[in-house]
Amino acid sequence: MFLIFKRLWQVNWAEQWQYRANLLMYLLYWLVSPIIYLAVWTSIANANGDVKGFTANDFVTYYMVLLICDQVTSNIIIHTFAYKIQDGSLSGELIKPIHPMLTNALVNNVAFKVLTMIGLTPIWVILFFLFQPDFSGVTFINILIAIPPMLFAFLIGFLFSASITALAFWTTRIYSIHEFYFALILLFSGQFVPLTLMPKVIQDIAQYLPFQLMLYYPIQLILGKLSQAQIIQGYVMTGIWLSVSILLFNWVWREGVKRYSAVGA
Amino acid sequence: MHILKLLSAFLKVNIQMSLAYRADTVVNILLNLMWLAWELLSLNIIFSNTQTLGGWGLGELIALLGVFRLINTMMIAFIWPNTEKFNQSIRDGSMDYTILQPANSMFLVTFSRITVWRFWDLILAVVLIVIGINMSGDSINALQILTFILLALSGMVVIYSLWIVLIALTFWFTKFDNNVTILQALLDAGRYPATVYPVWLRIIVTFIIPIAVATTIPLQALRGELGLNQVLIFLFVGIASFVIATQVWKTGLKRYSGASS
Repeated sequence: MFLIFKRLWQVNWAEQWQYRANLLMYLLYWLVSPIIYLAVWTSIANANGDVKGFTANDFVTYYMVLLICDQVTSNIIIHTFAYKIQDGSLSGELIKPIHPMLTNALVNNVAFKVLTMIGLTPIWVILFFLFQPDFSGVTFINILIAIPPMLFAFLIGFLFSASITALAFWTTRIYSIHEFYFALILLFSGQFVPLTLMPKVIQDIAQYLPFQLMLYYPIQLILGKLSQAQIIQGYVMTGIWLSVSILLFNWVWREGVKRYSAVGA
Repeated sequence: MHILKLLSAFLKVNIQMSLAYRADTVVNILLNLMWLAWELLSLNIIFSNTQTLGGWGLGELIALLGVFRLINTMMIAFIWPNTEKFNQSIRDGSMDYTILQPANSMFLVTFSRITVWRFWDLILAVVLIVIGINMSGDSINALQILTFILLALSGMVVIYSLWIVLIALTFWFTKFDNNVTILQALLDAGRYPATVYPVWLRIIVTFIIPIAVATTIPLQALRGELGLNQVLIFLFVGIASFVIATQVWKTGLKRYSGASS
């Protein structure tokens, strides 16, 4: 099994490396929104002194850490996999004795992530000098505690996106469904603004959803803003949602493959 | 007249194409409404935490959202579909047929694909602008409205010209599929007044990828913040950028060699 993953890594790394120019464009595209939110909220905080306890520096550190968390926990599987179901090229992968999504597509996502991380590093350093954030609340222990839930949050997000991608076995409109899913992330993950500044209703719902585990929870954890009880609660929620996502994905995939008719192949 | 006839022909073809995908159109309109709801909610969240954003009130930001949506619609309804077709035609050489036609090639390349249902977005944008201005309670005279319309048009021309230059670069670097991604990437900066951004970001969105010229500036004119000099300068920028873009297009076209032949 290790050998298989090693080989898959070599192939996918080479593939992603080939598209490094595209990847830079993607990175630029993805960077703009968080930086704009950062600019908007620091300008508000500067004008009013603070926003419900958030100072300008709190916003800068929040979005600077968000850039990293989002890069770790997000995924692109719908863009790299859905077409295979639609045009029938999945057939070739289905006859291999490994799961197409949980091996090849997963490694492909990780390779993509490693490359974007390499691209992000210099940009992050430049932003650091431009905004000069004060990261004094961050401790080494906090970063260490945040790593496992971040990796699991990536898996949760990956399995949910994979489930949506697998809906391509039934419908051609998965991109619309994915857009809706993307809006849910925007609303409940803390991407637009730290969740505590959202309307009360949204905060209450967000608490029980997996989306805040992808951004808000690890960011606050790294910044040292969570109490011990909140940290444990996050770990428990991660466990619950990981189980749910595994069950959901397994079920959708199993039923989907049964319906697969290998169009065009 | 010739151009108008062509335009109506393009419209007819594109309406027929989109009628083939009626259900998708309905889904797309619903998604569009969902994003509108999100945009209004995000403005509501901002203004539940502050009175003003860089001196602008909620009404003014709703009006700005309307102007932003004008540009965004232009992007989705024209720029993306035509760019896709153009990139394809450079790769496979079908650009030959476009050049052979007895009409302005720049016009043909930039207007042949139109996502027709997006027109309702334009109506929505105008509604947002009107509601926003009313909410802001600014007293606005006819002259301000006129400069607003002129500068908004001029801003759209600037974005259109930048797009022409970006796709014309494909004549030099044949493999340049990402030509408009940079435009799309910075587009989101148009949602908020550029005056709240740090200086370096303001410079980028004003001079390099001039999204702010098409969004913030017209609204500043509407608020009566711009002097006559500034209005004239921005109108001149609109005309100048169109002239430059036309020249770049012509020069680029001479380099086109036809992939198939």
